[in-house]
Amino acid sequence: MLAPTSIKIGEPVLRWTARAHTIAEIETELARIWSTPDLTTQIEGASARHVAARTSVMNLIVVARRPEIAERCAAIIQALTGRHPSRTIVIQSADPDGPSWLDARIEAHCILPREDAPETCAETIHLVCGGESGRHLAAIATPLIVHDLPVTVWWPGEPPFTTRAAQDLLACADRLVVDGSTWSGDGLARLRDMARLLDTTDLAISDFALVRQSRWREAIASTFDDPDLLPYLRSIRRIAVTYGTHDEAAAPGSTNLVKPIYHVGWLASRLGLTVVEPLAPAAARPGRPAAPGAGLVATLSDGHAAVAVSIRPIRSPMPSGTTLQVELLAERRGVELRIDVTAEAETVHVRVWQSRVEVLDRSFRAARRTDVDLLAEAIEAGERDPVAIGALRSAATLAEG
Amino acid sequence: MAAGRRKGAVTTPVRDPAPVEAPLDQPIPARPAPRPKDAPRTMKDLRLARRGKRAARARQPENVLREGLRLERVPDPSVVVLFGGTGDLAHRKVVPALYHLWRTNLLPHEFVLLAVGRRPYDDEAFRVDIRTSLDQFSRALPIDEDAWRSFAERVCYQHLDFADTSGFEALAARLDELDEARGTRGNRLFYLATQPSQFAEIVAQLGRVGLDHEKHDAGWRRIVIEKPFGHDLESAKRLNRDVGKVFRESQVYRIDHYLGKETVRNLLVFRFGNGIFEPLWNRRYVDHVQITVAESIGIESRGAFYEQTGASRDVLQNHLLQLVSLIAMEPPARFEANALRDEKVKVLRAISSVPADLAGSVVRGQYGPGWVAATQVPGYRDEKEVDPESETETFVAARLMIDDWRWSGVPFYVRTGKRLPKRATEIAIQYREVPHRLFQDQGVEPDANLLAIRIQPDEGIMLRFGAKVPGLGLDVRSVTMDFTYGSAFSVDSPDAYETLILDALQGDASLFTRADEVEEAWGIVDPIVDAWADAPAPDFPNYEAGSWGPAAADDLLAREGRRWRRI
Repeated sequence: MLAPTSIKIGEPVLRWTARAHTIAEIETELARIWSTPDLTTQIEGASARHVAARTSVMNLIVVARRPEIAERCAAIIQALTGRHPSRTIVIQSADPDGPSWLDARIEAHCILPREDAPETCAETIHLVCGGESGRHLAAIATPLIVHDLPVTVWWPGEPPFTTRAAQDLLACADRLVVDGSTWSGDGLARLRDMARLLDTTDLAISDFALVRQSRWREAIASTFDDPDLLPYLRSIRRIAVTYGTHDEAAAPGSTNLVKPIYHVGWLASRLGLTVVEPLAPAAARPGRPAAPGAGLVATLSDGHAAVAVSIRPIRSPMPSGTTLQVELLAERRGVELRIDVTAEAETVHVRVWQSRVEVLDRSFRAARRTDVDLLAEAIEAGERDPVAIGALRSAATLAEG
Repeated sequence: MAAGRRKGAVTTPVRDPAPVEAPLDQPIPARPAPRPKDAPRTMKDLRLARRGKRAARARQPENVLREGLRLERVPDPSVVVLFGGTGDLAHRKVVPALYHLWRTNLLPHEFVLLAVGRRPYDDEAFRVDIRTSLDQFSRALPIDEDAWRSFAERVCYQHLDFADTSGFEALAARLDELDEARGTRGNRLFYLATQPSQFAEIVAQLGRVGLDHEKHDAGWRRIVIEKPFGHDLESAKRLNRDVGKVFRESQVYRIDHYLGKETVRNLLVFRFGNGIFEPLWNRRYVDHVQITVAESIGIESRGAFYEQTGASRDVLQNHLLQLVSLIAMEPPARFEANALRDEKVKVLRAISSVPADLAGSVVRGQYGPGWVAATQVPGYRDEKEVDPESETETFVAARLMIDDWRWSGVPFYVRTGKRLPKRATEIAIQYREVPHRLFQDQGVEPDANLLAIRIQPDEGIMLRFGAKVPGLGLDVRSVTMDFTYGSAFSVDSPDAYETLILDALQGDASLFTRADEVEEAWGIVDPIVDAWADAPAPDFPNYEAGSWGPAAADDLLAREGRRWRRI
């Protein structure tokens, strides 16, 4: 059947909406959507049936602190309807000290993958929970999830990992999606809390902050594809990450450090480096007391030799906490290898010097990824991603100082 | 895989411009840090420590940073040298595939497409030419102007007569210049999108000017050769020899675009990534297998070519036998090019020789006039550049038997043809009937289970099984579970050429055909063609355009109590 004129291929269209005030009413409305024989809209004034297939490959629970975050997340998820049709439950708390109440808006969005295909539809349940009920996230979400499908919790903002409410909700989830680069302060305490979830739960964790760095990792890894440079991989002696800050004094805790620390965490985990001395404020000059603006230093070990780590701020108009440069220094049989990775607009640039002679100069195109791309990639990661686990564990251990 | 010539080898050394003290300003610790208490100790570490010896440092030859990276690996800086750059294949398939790879950031920043052809173009004229083709053939329209601009900057043209040795010397010099100017580091992928008759000459010329050499630190050299690879076993062996004189087998990528199709690649995942199908994938449960490659189009403007090939050489020898081998192969030990191809070759070797009396095993046909898709079309003999008395087959169906432990006694029926009612490629695994018909008194007995894998169009997988009809009785009816790519993944699948070109640039030959595979396949088709040559002239045309082929093709199955699936 031809696509109705009002429908654009690949763009989600709202095809059903209803309101409810209890979980039971929500369940009734969900059942009504799919028992309705015809989800058509009017096409050129006439009703034309268009077969709609309900599709869900997962349950996606979004915990949003504010209405605008809820709306933004819902829009991102709708853009993924075709690629990852999900039952989406957006939970937002309101008036925590007032009486308990529940207001739900149930919607079905449909997408026409191509002209000759049936529509694919998925439900979104927007829940606003007032009073005490807003503190029992698991009790709200659990009855609404489609069983036998994986559950992903997307927690934008600041997930309170140590609270009972968060732990109960995450206990019924398979995957947690966060963006550590948006956390307040330096973000390291929350990073450590999140890493502990790896030991206490079976959760797979996707952090946009880590996902965004994939082209950096590709660029760094590519250096060691060269058989002549590969032996240096086991002789890295320094890792330095420079990040941008808006804080004139670059005071500790003023800038989110999750992204810079992930670079070190990834390298440490892949190279089997262990933390000897966790991150601590660096001295402005060797032998002098720690100074703001000098960044953080740590020491790793490969079991034979030490690896110095430096995470340094620099004033930059880029968003605070953005990685500006990753530098590696390796020494092997008296030869020094220096790798310098920088990013500019949509390019990651790698330069390598061997004994101060430039031996490699390569650029990698790295298109900026939207939140839709990041969420899609996080969802597609499947089971627990060993790279993410390793990077998170190492980063959290580094941040123990 | 070699990453290519490093910059220091070809340019004036550049001093490290970074200030000494920043940002790597933290001093290297004077002494090695103590081993942490919780550091992992291997059994060997412990044993050597007990004996007072230091554990030997483990060799670590692999790039551990590559492990687990989910992002598609970007190939090394490289030049794609496209012979036949002004031809139809280049404009319809190869260039659009390269453009799309570029647009999606899957080609390296240091990438050049150097098209080679006989037309006296310059770089700019060729760019104008391919832009026109992209506007017509790109699968992502309209063209992204930013992506096009940056892609076009990397497109060059070299005028060359393939018989002219000095022209190849000029080509070699141009490639060296490009390496220097564009940083492509000597990595070259030669892509032969020319007439097959020119393959050997081009390969010999490349060898003559040393463009095949993979010297230390001088980058890799690979060659992609389009099908048809030979027109019979002898010519295939000759071409393999000619190519082998210049390139090592590991440098040769024989392309069969069918292997790059998403659904074909999914066959491996479906079979070996799921636990529930493989136990049922054998003679004990499978009654027979049907593979159909149907085309609704005729021969279009390829009359002269098709007269020399026919359906058996054009499709049976490559696409169909590749599909048979993927369906019938044993699980490879590793997901690696040679392990995969070893298993495919074993299947081809196990296919029994076609008996001298072809009638019971192979059927050929040629279409006459008819109607296809509401359009009246001429018969094959009325097509341009076709002999009015042509005996070339436009349809072939065969019953193949695979003599191995898994498939002994299970017929594989394959068919392909032009001007069939629709374009469809499908593999159907027909399972055996249940051993005891429990519901035979309850009306309609359900059909035996069927697993259909649709390669094109509507890519997907369908499983048919029996279910009880709702109601008080016990009626049983066949129902289907249907997975379609379009619904489950609304993202576009990459074009087969994109997949295969990217694989070749990355040095992954898994989806390319090896020399022995090509020869084994010709070893199956050659006796059929020879037997036809010895037989009396066929009674062509013997099927109407728009039908499913000659009646004899139906008889091939009917005499064994089977029939072709209605597609």
